[in-house]
Amino acid sequence: MRLAGMAMADTDVADPTVSATVRPRKPRLRARTVLIAAGVIAFTVYSAQQSGWEWGSFITVWTNPLWQRFWPIDWEFVLDRNNVLDPLIETFQIAIVATVIGCLLAMPIGFMMSQLTAPNRPTFIIVRSIMNVVRAIPDLLLAVILVAAVSIGAFGGAIALTVFSTAVLVKLFSETIDGADPRPLEAALAAGGRHTAAVRAGVLPEVFPAYVAYSAYVFELNVRASVVIGLVGGGGIGRVIEAQRQFFRYDRILGILIVIFVIVMIIEQISDAIRRRVL
Amino acid sequence: MIEFDDVSVTYRGGVKALRNVSLTIDDGEFVVVVGLSGAGKSTLLRAMNGLVPATSGSIKVNGTEVVGAKGSQLRQVRSQIGMIFQTFNLATRTTVMNNVLMGRLATVPTWRSTLGLWPAADKEAAFEALERVSIVDKAYVRASNLSGGQQQRVGIARALAQEPSVMLADEPVAALDPVTSHQVMGDLQRINRDLGITTLINLHFLDLARNYGKRLIGLREGELVFDGDIADVDDDTFREIYGRAITPDDLLAADAAGGHGNG
Repeated sequence: MRLAGMAMADTDVADPTVSATVRPRKPRLRARTVLIAAGVIAFTVYSAQQSGWEWGSFITVWTNPLWQRFWPIDWEFVLDRNNVLDPLIETFQIAIVATVIGCLLAMPIGFMMSQLTAPNRPTFIIVRSIMNVVRAIPDLLLAVILVAAVSIGAFGGAIALTVFSTAVLVKLFSETIDGADPRPLEAALAAGGRHTAAVRAGVLPEVFPAYVAYSAYVFELNVRASVVIGLVGGGGIGRVIEAQRQFFRYDRILGILIVIFVIVMIIEQISDAIRRRVL
Repeated sequence: MIEFDDVSVTYRGGVKALRNVSLTIDDGEFVVVVGLSGAGKSTLLRAMNGLVPATSGSIKVNGTEVVGAKGSQLRQVRSQIGMIFQTFNLATRTTVMNNVLMGRLATVPTWRSTLGLWPAADKEAAFEALERVSIVDKAYVRASNLSGGQQQRVGIARALAQEPSVMLADEPVAALDPVTSHQVMGDLQRINRDLGITTLINLHFLDLARNYGKRLIGLREGELVFDGDIADVDDDTFREIYGRAITPDDLLAADAAGGHGNG
């Protein structure tokens, strides 16, 4: 690069200082940009009308007597370990199992889904197609189906979350691999390594920190998602929330939400710390 | 022995990188390849270990045909050929040791290398390779923490760990400063002399080619335009290979003296 640049300086190139002294005018907003912006605004207004959007609701919603049911919080219920702590632990167990199994599965699948490291073209296309289909299924729908198919309770929820974690991590991880430096892989192949061994030696070290960081992020997602999955019968704290909602015990739900909020905050901090350390 | 017989390489898109090249390199030779960028130097080297597939012709390394070789046959040929890269091509986020062990991939079962369970003999080979380039003290340092010259020595050690009979070096000093360039060229010369490894080096700088080479190969637009003893080479030869007059940019010494700047 440097040499090429130097060679140019030696040859006859028009003096750049002449044209560089003229201040350019600020480029005008292009008509296409304006048109696109107008289109987005028009479509938003139309959609708002169609969906019955009303600004007034932002005030009237607070007059709903439902809100009174949130207060005072039933701390006696919330602090009883059978009611909240035990199901919450179950939620964590679901999230941990789903994250670990999901991340283990995502490692080989991720390598198969990157153009750089796929063993061959057919594998790449097949794996990518399957993962695209899996990702296209809304996770909540997946949970409903799997909970019904496997069993009501923690196991069904854990399986749904595992599939979800694998899909998310494969997507993130394979894109990282796509962007990885291909040159160490070239070196490993030049040394006569088999494809798998060369990928392990030449690519994995470069993408492993990102893999760990994404895994921490997926765990964070899973803790939140396992609450939601509990709502549809996947076990854990979500089931408790759903039960209390049926009895309109919003005073208890608010208490549970505060506990979850605090714990999710703590996990986010830990996950952030891990990501900062490895990336 | 390396035998090129009427070898052509055409890249997808129709660029002809090598045109009907025939040449023979005997065991233990030290060959320098020169030519402008785009003349096919890199392609010539990469065709030898199949990193770039030859479109036609025949390339034999120690009697084994490389053109069209696949699978274990290709890996077997590659394992005999060490390669050194302009940009070192190290896995920078792992240790020097792990990089040098890459040179043992062809002989170690995949499950072992994948789990990092390297046999003692292979670790020993890696240590010896590091000792040969005087950088064994850095064995467990992360590769990214080394200087450019040190990284290139790790690259050489990785190639040596293969216990190769042929060494290919693709612009090995283009990314290094003049002092380090001479050290690395000296290392390659010593390895050629001590171990008798056939060595082919692509070089950009003509004075380095003159200082270190024995046999010179000149490429121009994919064609072999010179092949002879470096002692017989003068500026006219270089002018013919390059198709233009020699400039200070073509010399490392000029680079060292700050011979060209922007002004």
